[in-house]
Amino acid sequence: MRQTKPSFEWRQVAESRLAFPIIALALVLLFDLMFVPGFFAIESRDGNLYGNAIDIFRSGSTVILLALGMTLVIATGGVDLSVGAVMAIAASIAALMMNPYVMAKELPENLQRLVSDPNFTYAPLWAVILVTLVVSALCGVWNGLLVAYGKIQPMVGTLILMIAGRGIAQLITNGIRIQIFYEPYAFIGNGWVILPFPIYIVIVVFTLLWLVTRKTSIALFIESVGVNARSSFFSGIDEKRIKLLAYTLCGLFAGMAGILASANIKTSDANNIGWALELDAILAVVIGGTLMTGGRFSLLASVVGALVMQATTTSMYAIGVPANAVLAVKGVVVILVLMLYSEQVRNLLRRLPTQHKEAGS
Amino acid sequence: MKRSLSTAVANNRRFIPVVATAVLFLIAYSIGAGFYQGMRDPQVFLNLFRTSPFLLVAAIGGTFVILTGGIDLSVSGVVALTTVAASALIRAGWDPWVVILLMLLMGIALGTILGIFITYMKVQPFIATLAALWFARGMCFFISDDAIAVDNRVYKILSQTRILIPGLSDPVTKQGAFISLLVVVALVVLALAMYIAHSTPFGRTIYAIGGNEQSARLMGLPVNATKVLVYSVAGFCSALAGVILNIYVGSGHGLYATGFELTVIAAVVMGGTMLSGGSGYVVGTLFGVLVLGVTQTLIQFNGMLSSWWTNIVVGALTLMFIGIQSFLAARRARAGGAARKREGRGELLRRARKALLYGVGLLAGIGLLVLGVNAFLPHIPTRCTLKPFQQEKAAALVQAGAVIVYEHNGGSDCVDELYAIYPDGRIAAEEGARKLEKQATPTEINDLLSGIQDLGWFTDTLYSTEHEPCGQCYTFFLTVAHQGQVKTVKAVNGGTDTPPAYWKVIALIDEIIPPFGAP
Repeated sequence: MRQTKPSFEWRQVAESRLAFPIIALALVLLFDLMFVPGFFAIESRDGNLYGNAIDIFRSGSTVILLALGMTLVIATGGVDLSVGAVMAIAASIAALMMNPYVMAKELPENLQRLVSDPNFTYAPLWAVILVTLVVSALCGVWNGLLVAYGKIQPMVGTLILMIAGRGIAQLITNGIRIQIFYEPYAFIGNGWVILPFPIYIVIVVFTLLWLVTRKTSIALFIESVGVNARSSFFSGIDEKRIKLLAYTLCGLFAGMAGILASANIKTSDANNIGWALELDAILAVVIGGTLMTGGRFSLLASVVGALVMQATTTSMYAIGVPANAVLAVKGVVVILVLMLYSEQVRNLLRRLPTQHKEAGS
Repeated sequence: MKRSLSTAVANNRRFIPVVATAVLFLIAYSIGAGFYQGMRDPQVFLNLFRTSPFLLVAAIGGTFVILTGGIDLSVSGVVALTTVAASALIRAGWDPWVVILLMLLMGIALGTILGIFITYMKVQPFIATLAALWFARGMCFFISDDAIAVDNRVYKILSQTRILIPGLSDPVTKQGAFISLLVVVALVVLALAMYIAHSTPFGRTIYAIGGNEQSARLMGLPVNATKVLVYSVAGFCSALAGVILNIYVGSGHGLYATGFELTVIAAVVMGGTMLSGGSGYVVGTLFGVLVLGVTQTLIQFNGMLSSWWTNIVVGALTLMFIGIQSFLAARRARAGGAARKREGRGELLRRARKALLYGVGLLAGIGLLVLGVNAFLPHIPTRCTLKPFQQEKAAALVQAGAVIVYEHNGGSDCVDELYAIYPDGRIAAEEGARKLEKQATPTEINDLLSGIQDLGWFTDTLYSTEHEPCGQCYTFFLTVAHQGQVKTVKAVNGGTDTPPAYWKVIALIDEIIPPFGAP
């Protein structure tokens, strides 16, 4: 019995998790290649590399971090809407710990100097980062408890922190936009060591997360919870703990993203840091091919998905679309990408080589 | 008697979330009325409706979508797009009625496209409506970067017509409690929505889809058509909300209604509608909107609480309502299997105890952490000691005919400036013993007044949000008298919590007043 089955390689491409985001990224970059002259030009200043292509990675680093955490959450069948608010909380805490004097109205003469001293920090940098990350992880634990143990729908459970989080962030700094002067902290967000510093952070975090999930059974457990929480429970996986872990990690990564973002703009702006970034992160994961209903995930594909979003934004800026109007283009790109993913197109793609063969024979 | 009561409760359990919201609203309002004399004024109660007809209309659309188990994030984008597009068309000389009709059609079209995407292309509602949100908001900025003011007779009539409440007002002097035409529109939409949801086949199909889409399909109900239609209805409601907002604030801008989709979802959830769909009442949404309104009013009247507390309180309230709902859902599940009753109760207790333990532990942990961080940070004075406000003097100036009285207290030099602007262009200012005078033209003053009104001065976007000012911030009192309306707002200028509308108003005034040099 002869079956007209498509060639193995083609099917592998069509079914692969990584193929679609890479195609999407390639399409965006192709657009740049054709319409944005000099988009890929990279120049070197003082041994550091600058250019639009590098800027995609630099500006995309926060979304990539968020997307990594979001991938785990979405793979368990949930979603975390609060990451943007957690970023704001993290930024507020970090800024407050580094220079509480900025908030002061009247300072003694000896302290006045410290307010804008780039070498002064009230708490040592490691303590600032540690406390910030612990607090963001606790925010994640809160979400995890509501979703896993409180049995609240993920979208609603995390909505609570999303609404309240920005209020909490403003509460921490008493509504003040704290400026960050401490140079080593700012270096995290806008420093360069040949390549922008955030890129190294993303690479390290990604590698660690990949090792921790893929070299242990954690990834497998997360996927099995996402596919069917009940049967995972019957096969001895504590699905609640897995979900709790996913949300905690998501909060932790949101904290990292908050540190990066605040270090980059050198303020703790509770109203604007991470605004609407949860949406970017979710879309990055969806473009990366992870289903919103949970199940199989690929961290690398999510990273590529985040790069698609950032590449779109950066190229729109490069051709001079105003910042607010970029949203419309992003919306269209999302729709196009989703259409590329829809069942109809996938079926068409799967059938394509078959038809070709039939036509040939 | 007791027994019949408990049976009545048991038989009407599905009404509990709605009743809980209504009771919470009444309690919150009574507490407010008990504490603050001003809240006993019937107009304050009516203002809850007057200041949020667009929220009510948008939330009704959201209720339908959520009842089917979907979600609509595109609301705020469509609202903003409607305000901008309508303002631009009216500025271009179109007839306002045609514009309004066009906007509603645009809303329906957008909603229908979304519905088709979601129903036939199986795109997640969350993602599809999110893309629509971005698309709509981005399009605003292709139309115009700046706010467009609408100066149109029809709009003025629609926004300023007062419908006096019989018994609470004096028909001769046209003073007393009133609502606006927009409120009537919103209430008509509410009544229509209640009729559609509860007494038509379309409404019943919505509940069936929300309950179980598969079963609804097997029952032969027109699932696909209904789902598309629901998103069209939601699009219509969003566009209508946009038109109402446009009329209400008299201008359009792409940054209007940011985060509005969250408010809508919060209102629907507080109204007792389950986000998983299939359970809830349209009338609950009215109470959800009212609870949000009363929260904001309480924070305004309190004056000590900063504006960010609104967010925190709304978050806490949402949590509370979700708690009630999941408790009811657990009870319903338990009642479902009589045989598993005992086991169910034990399981429920265990779960509740565990959740409580974890929750308390977590809160205690966060509390300790906050205390720890606070103890470790230096204790420093963060504000200048404000001089006493001169509001009696300000009131006297308004009596004497000033249209704008602006008191500016605090800042880096701890000043206390008092400005009075008169309709003939005279501007008098004093700071302690220092005095300044400036003569502007009456046209300038008129432009300033209409500019302030266009920013939504007489709406709920600007309310008293006074709190401890930050280091360099000013606390200000601003009284504006324009076209028979007088409103005073006490707020803090500067810091991250000051919404744009506040500093835009202040910026307008700062342009015209004479500056004091350093003291």
